[in-house]
Amino acid sequence: MSSHAATIDHHHDVTTSTGIPNKKLFMWAFLASDCMFFGALISTHLIYRLHPPPGSPSPQKIFSIELTSFSTFILLMSSLLMALAVNAIQKSHIKSTRHNLLGTIFFGLIFLGCQVYEFTHFVHEKGLTLSNSLFGSTFYTLTGTHGCHVAIGVLWLILMYIRSFKPADAEAGRPWLAVAFFHFLTFVVTIVAGMATVLGYFHARQLHEPLGQFVGQNLLAVGTSIVGLAILAFLGRSRVPVEFGEANAIDVESMGLYWHFVDIVWIVIFTAVYLLEYL
Amino acid sequence: MDANTDTPAANSGHAHSKFHTFVQIAMILSVITGIEIVLVYLPFAKWLIISTLVILSAVKFLFVIFYFMHLRWDKVFCTILFFIGLVLALGTVAALLALFGADASQPLTSQITQAHASASLVG
Repeated sequence: MSSHAATIDHHHDVTTSTGIPNKKLFMWAFLASDCMFFGALISTHLIYRLHPPPGSPSPQKIFSIELTSFSTFILLMSSLLMALAVNAIQKSHIKSTRHNLLGTIFFGLIFLGCQVYEFTHFVHEKGLTLSNSLFGSTFYTLTGTHGCHVAIGVLWLILMYIRSFKPADAEAGRPWLAVAFFHFLTFVVTIVAGMATVLGYFHARQLHEPLGQFVGQNLLAVGTSIVGLAILAFLGRSRVPVEFGEANAIDVESMGLYWHFVDIVWIVIFTAVYLLEYL
Repeated sequence: MDANTDTPAANSGHAHSKFHTFVQIAMILSVITGIEIVLVYLPFAKWLIISTLVILSAVKFLFVIFYFMHLRWDKVFCTILFFIGLVLALGTVAALLALFGADASQPLTSQITQAHASASLVG
């Protein structure tokens, strides 16, 4: 660690008397406070696990180590892509930044999809709800709060990705706003339809339904996903010079700090909440 | 990493090595996660497995904050700021676990159940 390593803190941002850009300082202060927030949630879960009331559910029979391990791996890989996105924007490689941001969004969505699947499975098949046991209350509160953090991170990533298309020409700014709004709307619709398609597919596989029957039953979701992806690919083409560049490195870096924090919280949750139950 | 290398060639090399560093760290983190998963199924003492899991998680945590989150290359104040929150959080967790891990903090429902169990044994 070097206190005079001026490699990152010089990206066109107003610096404080500490020499650290405001945005980065704010983010580190926020993450420090978020540590305490998650610390409280994790300890609450662990304390109630110390003294389970009579009739408590057995977590070993509820959890799926395969799914959780897969989610952990996905989140780790999304962290790698986020780090590469920051690295790329610091070198003004816009295209590479966009690709890495898209990869991070995709992996973040896979993680969220796994969590939606996990929660649905726990509630409907294992009978673990938010209110029928202390374990359920603390488990859903902790992992749900983390999931909300991931969802906010994905939303932030999408907004940053769309922002990277803002034209350098100021006069083109007003129509760009409409295009950006349409871009965002397409993202939201495609994500919702895509998740419905994927979760529907896994549900159909569990019921051993043929592919044709699945497509027939989910025609709207499948069609919307395909059309949405095609529009996103069209909007993702870069035609004019853009405003986004090395000057925005600090914005991407702040967002990256938030995303990595979500990853380290999951590292702790994976061990403290899931793995410890298998001992 | 040498922070005093400002020539374009040196910067290019620096960035290049950073890319490889990130990829290598992601691989290390994946391997550690794999070891953690296998570890819980091994027939070792519980205290040994829990200690190893805590150490491995701490290693993963430190790798992410110092490399992916750039603390290694940032000003030391960022590290101090984050560790203030982290130490307070860890202190809270440790204090709560110590308090509620004590026998005196057994919930009433457990005591009643135990009393019923011993009464039925005597009876």
